Amino acid sequence: MFGFAATKLNEFEQGKISRRQLIETITLAATAVGAAESAHAAPAQVGVTAAAVNHVSYTCPDFKKAADWYSKVFNLDQIDPKATEVTLPFGKKGEQPYNVTAKDVPLTFLIMRTRDLNAPPANGAAPRPKATNVVNHMAYTVADFDSARVQAQLKALGVENIRATGANAIHMTDAFGYDVEICGLANSALTDGA
Amino acid sequence: MERFIADLVKSFESGKIDRRQFCETVALATTVYAAGSAAEAAPARGLKMLGVNHISYACSDYKVARDWYAKVFNTKIYNDKGMGRANLAFGGPEPGKGGAFIITRNFGANEKPAGAVVDHVCYTVANWDDTRVNNALKAAGTNPTGRKGSVNVYDPFGYQVQIASIDGENPFI
Repeated sequence: MFGFAATKLNEFEQGKISRRQLIETITLAATAVGAAESAHAAPAQVGVTAAAVNHVSYTCPDFKKAADWYSKVFNLDQIDPKATEVTLPFGKKGEQPYNVTAKDVPLTFLIMRTRDLNAPPANGAAPRPKATNVVNHMAYTVADFDSARVQAQLKALGVENIRATGANAIHMTDAFGYDVEICGLANSALTDGA
Repeated sequence: MERFIADLVKSFESGKIDRRQFCETVALATTVYAAGSAAEAAPARGLKMLGVNHISYACSDYKVARDWYAKVFNTKIYNDKGMGRANLAFGGPEPGKGGAFIITRNFGANEKPAGAVVDHVCYTVANWDDTRVNNALKAAGTNPTGRKGSVNVYDPFGYQVQIASIDGENPFI
């Protein structure tokens, strides 16, 4: 910046630029450089902010059987079928995720897969570590939740092991005995476990 | 229904109800009966999915998971009563809007393995910038790897956590 200012000052003294041009040029340059330095000096953001769950990866012995169960119970389409997996988005193309205002957030979706989680990655990447936790159930929010009516619907659909757990939630098991919970809009981080 | 009508006739014959009451009651009973039959005969339909309400994450020490997800995702912590579980909310929660949160909890006494597993969950970050996201994850103590628009990290229990942009993971692209 020092050299730039000196150059411009020389040009002014030599009559190459006017007083106004000198002031404007140096002001603009100083402002731009200052902003860049300020941004560079800002502390790095720690962690990210998730706008929504993007997808849930579900692995089982028969992904088609799982996909059919979720399609039936939640009215989900199956798209982009592959040899060992299929995708089930929570809505139609172009729809906005529920309760998300940002326009660059896709619909949440399930990926039903059949694969060996212990197999080494095909691309030569580091092997997946052996997880010592378990996601022991997934809970989904459904529209127009009424416990008695939803239980009757689930029963009519042939869903097994239906258990109401309070006014806003019902548990069940899916085609592979995985625990699935469905909730009404009233169930949130404030109310669950309160 | 037959028993109900028989009782109704009996009431009429004994003078407990008049002709008008008899006819009105039969008409009402017919309407209710028809509605019930229609409901029973309606085809079974699935539910309208709105989104993920919560992810139930069980591990040997919920506090370790709680602190990691709170740091990496800047989540707020609710209902941690020191009883082996806590709720970590993405945004909100706004009452009546379902919320989206992780429950970190200690293993229960009767955890039974299912025939399926949720092997990872992916989260969308809006206004994506590869450099910014990677730097933010490194600043949170993780080691992100991946591709443009999508990175993976592993939490303290070795569980895969994916973070993606709308282009990185989109069912319609």
